[in-house]
Amino acid sequence: MTTATPVMLRSPGQVAEEPGVTADAGPQEARSASDVARDAAFERDALPWLDDVYRFALSLTREESDADDVVQETFLRAYRSWHTFIPGTDCRRWLFTICRNVFLRSRERQRPTVDLEDGEQDAVAAGSVYAAAREKGYDDIYARLDLAPALRDALDDLAEPFRSAVVLVDVEDLSYESAAEVMGVPIGTVRSRLFRGRRLLQEKLATVAEDLGFVGAASE
Amino acid sequence: MMSAPAQSKLEALGLSASCAEVLTHLWDYLDEQITPTSAERLRAHIATCAQCQQYEEYQECFLRAMSGLKQELSAPSSLRERLAVRLKGQGCGCWDKVRREE
Repeated sequence: MTTATPVMLRSPGQVAEEPGVTADAGPQEARSASDVARDAAFERDALPWLDDVYRFALSLTREESDADDVVQETFLRAYRSWHTFIPGTDCRRWLFTICRNVFLRSRERQRPTVDLEDGEQDAVAAGSVYAAAREKGYDDIYARLDLAPALRDALDDLAEPFRSAVVLVDVEDLSYESAAEVMGVPIGTVRSRLFRGRRLLQEKLATVAEDLGFVGAASE
Repeated sequence: MMSAPAQSKLEALGLSASCAEVLTHLWDYLDEQITPTSAERLRAHIATCAQCQQYEEYQECFLRAMSGLKQELSAPSSLRERLAVRLKGQGCGCWDKVRREE
């Protein structure tokens, strides 16, 4: 018999059987229409963001094994709480929010407390970094060199909460508003953290350029 | 209102008022977080100032490099496998789709 197993509808009062726990078990049984609809929505809206959530988790944990745990917990929670997801809204943002909460809980909710100044001071400081780079002739390093490995290292070294702001906005391309929702802070705080993070990254990369003895055209 | 430390740094750099505005708000401008009027003012200055053009290019290159990091990481197959098993344990009917994405 090779025909597909039909979907077996469960009456509202019927108790579902305990689902199997091995991936090699047979086809799902006794699935209600709402179960099927939920799973289809979860597959369509949530699963495509697995790589994005993994990247974000890795940026938070900095350890692959920890990121692995955070991602699994994120998707399991998302699946269990799928009824709270509002269809048509940004599922990636919703998953990022769960992911960050899972991470913070895993760190016993050690929310970072950093005294943040207005972002403008960091913007100006970044200008000073640029001025020094131009003077030394490596102000074109971003255009001339593949800085991805150095950027990743610098990002790993960046402290929370700056790392989250930079990853969400600059790497994952979230708006300030979306990043603010994920991080649970006002938009102005995202801006401050983002600017500080960018400035610190640029300072770090300037140091890398100098350590490598990189000399641009202006100094040659 | 600009803070005193920021103001003193700008003065130390010897920038004109327009250059100082670009320096202070370029990230807001590139992130499209400022009003159209302010954006137009910055754009107009940058168009006529070689120094600010170079600075804009420098920051754009930095942001492009950051954005490029997104392409380099994906969830490992071992993670997908473990997640598939755990989702199935929750009764998720689409657990096997986690694997198929690989």
